[in-house]
Amino acid sequence: MNKKLFVLFLLILSLVITACGKEDDTSNQGSSGEFDGEITVWHSFTQGPRMEFMQSAADAFMEEHPKVKIKIETFAWPEFYTKWTTGIQSGQVPDVSTALPNHVVELIDVDALVPLNDVIDNIGRDRFYEAPLQEGTIDSDNFSIPLYSHAQVMWYRKDLLEEAGLEVPKTWEELFETAKALNNPPNLYGLSVPMGSGDMMATRFLNFYVRSAGETLLTEDGKANLTSKSAIDGINYWVKMYNETSPEGSVNYTVLDQANLYYQGKSAFDFNSGFQIGGVETNSPQLVDQIDAAPMPKINESDPDNGIETSNIPVVVWKNSKHPEIAKAFVESLYEKEEYIEFLHSVPAGMLPALKDIAEDPMFLDEPTIQKFDNAVKIISEAVDKGTAIGMENGPSLQSGIITSQSVIEKMFQDIVLNSVPVEEAAEKAEKELNDLFDMLSR
Amino acid sequence: MEKKLRNFNITGMLFILPAILIVILLLIYPIFSSIYFSLTTKNLIRPFYDFVWFENFKFVLTNPDFYKAFVNSIKWTFFSIVGQLFVGFSAALALNRIPRFTGIYRTLLIIPWAFPAIVIAFSWKYILNDVYGFLPNLLTQLGITSSNINFLANPDLVFIVVVLINIWFGAPLFMVNILSALKTIPSEQYEAAQMDGASPLQVFWHITIRHVRVVIGLLLVLRTIWIFNNFDILYLITGGGPSDNTTTLPIFAYKVGWGMKQLGVASAITVILLLFLLGICFLYFKLLDKWERDDR
Repeated sequence: MNKKLFVLFLLILSLVITACGKEDDTSNQGSSGEFDGEITVWHSFTQGPRMEFMQSAADAFMEEHPKVKIKIETFAWPEFYTKWTTGIQSGQVPDVSTALPNHVVELIDVDALVPLNDVIDNIGRDRFYEAPLQEGTIDSDNFSIPLYSHAQVMWYRKDLLEEAGLEVPKTWEELFETAKALNNPPNLYGLSVPMGSGDMMATRFLNFYVRSAGETLLTEDGKANLTSKSAIDGINYWVKMYNETSPEGSVNYTVLDQANLYYQGKSAFDFNSGFQIGGVETNSPQLVDQIDAAPMPKINESDPDNGIETSNIPVVVWKNSKHPEIAKAFVESLYEKEEYIEFLHSVPAGMLPALKDIAEDPMFLDEPTIQKFDNAVKIISEAVDKGTAIGMENGPSLQSGIITSQSVIEKMFQDIVLNSVPVEEAAEKAEKELNDLFDMLSR
Repeated sequence: MEKKLRNFNITGMLFILPAILIVILLLIYPIFSSIYFSLTTKNLIRPFYDFVWFENFKFVLTNPDFYKAFVNSIKWTFFSIVGQLFVGFSAALALNRIPRFTGIYRTLLIIPWAFPAIVIAFSWKYILNDVYGFLPNLLTQLGITSSNINFLANPDLVFIVVVLINIWFGAPLFMVNILSALKTIPSEQYEAAQMDGASPLQVFWHITIRHVRVVIGLLLVLRTIWIFNNFDILYLITGGGPSDNTTTLPIFAYKVGWGMKQLGVASAITVILLLFLLGICFLYFKLLDKWERDDR
């Protein structure tokens, strides 16, 4: 009996020692209270100025905390997704990373993130817009912090409208008529309707129409909605637009193909965020003065302003992190006013602040591109405030990831325009396919 | 038995052991892990999974999209192989007749193989683009078409176009290998056949084909496996579309595995693919054996 007790005592002692050892391992601060350790940061900012900013933010943090080492790794979004999905299997994930709202939902689902309520409180909870925070919130735990936002608005060519004596369209029907009037292929297309199955552009376009009707592509109980009157009207609308004003090849267009057409001055209208400005500036600098943004068209001009699509790009801290306190402190440092504004200015008018006070700060507004496109920035800012990611109108859900990643809606459009499948039949089939895919989530 | 043991070279075995272990790790492990996961609900990001035995196979084999992808794979492989063999063989016969600068021609013709798939895919996408693309604009300017055709968006054309791109890409491999085999044919055999009054067709069939058929057979085995499993060029050019017209089994498996994160189902697809290819290879090797026996 004594022997058994002795073994039990040893077992408990070893557990206590192991627990203490672990505590020591994960401690981020030395005896002086100084941060001490190495963290890895993954981000998706592959363009020059944004990439440079992340490195300089890391350098500044390391200068302030000499015992901290920050390793920065950069991946484009598609590669990024592959990295973390495979990384989760092998435990090779970073301490901090950027993410897309759909990624955040999936990561929460597999318990890969730590709540960041304390970081948000330190920065100032009231300073954030509510909707972007909600996209990463489950049961009052905030698993992501929005870093910047942008929203989809309508872009048009001022010179073309002026030459043709046409007004900026305010309703979907006006947009169709105006795009049709300007359509002059192969030199100029009224509006390209992208349906490529390697992307989510057709889903985005259908969402524009359905949201403007006050409906959503995902119902409150998480089912697909492609057969309501608004959805069917929306499908018919975009098919009509494709047939009348779009290049034939747009049936295969992805986001880049679509944007390039506008950048090259080959389409009169497009939908995009403020990133459109930089694209036109790089590809066709002579057209920069001829572009402007307008609010999303509505079904009737008198309809209320329903939020359409906002993209809030957040930062997350991974549960696997050995130094969560350092990771959180680094995230917090990204929101220091001067540095944060410098970051936003790396894509002026493209990245809008996630903090309300910064959006009105003269220091942020005092930038040449933001001033030049003040009308566009105002319209996008208003749209940011009301919209959400596609399918997240009723809160974060895994279904929203499926609806944008599986190309079911893209294939539906392709079946209609290429194989002449009747709209209602194609919509019913796609809705069923999506709901079957949602059911697979529970497997 | 004792003699066998005496002949067993332990030192030799020790030397090849690392290679055997690497082969086991790199080849055997993925195959067995695929078979294992095909019987589970393995998800790409979720840590836990259950055994469902043959449920994934049932799901795949009752899915109409699987059959569409399967038929596309067979069409893609068959037409690509036939085209590559025809073009490669023709080019090899032509080059074999050229007495000078064969090396330069051969180098020029092998160029498609020097490009990474991503370069090939984006180049062809750009060439065929109906707005900026060189080919649709040229055809319109020459009056051959009334408006720019988008070859990759037209469901009647897209498959033919991607097969032609694959033929352009793969024919040089056939050409180089067949040309090497042609160079080994003794010229005396042709001279003897001529003296015996053989027709050109008889000479081609009984001498040329007989000498190169084993090389062609091996190329057919390898290319069938590669083309059937090919993912990059097709996916980068069309993404499997439009309307799944170019979705082959590897693309279908990728969409299920990475898009839906259903690694269990994707593994079941790859196991079916493996069994099918093993069957095809078995038939090819049977034929090759017969040819080799005939040659002896």
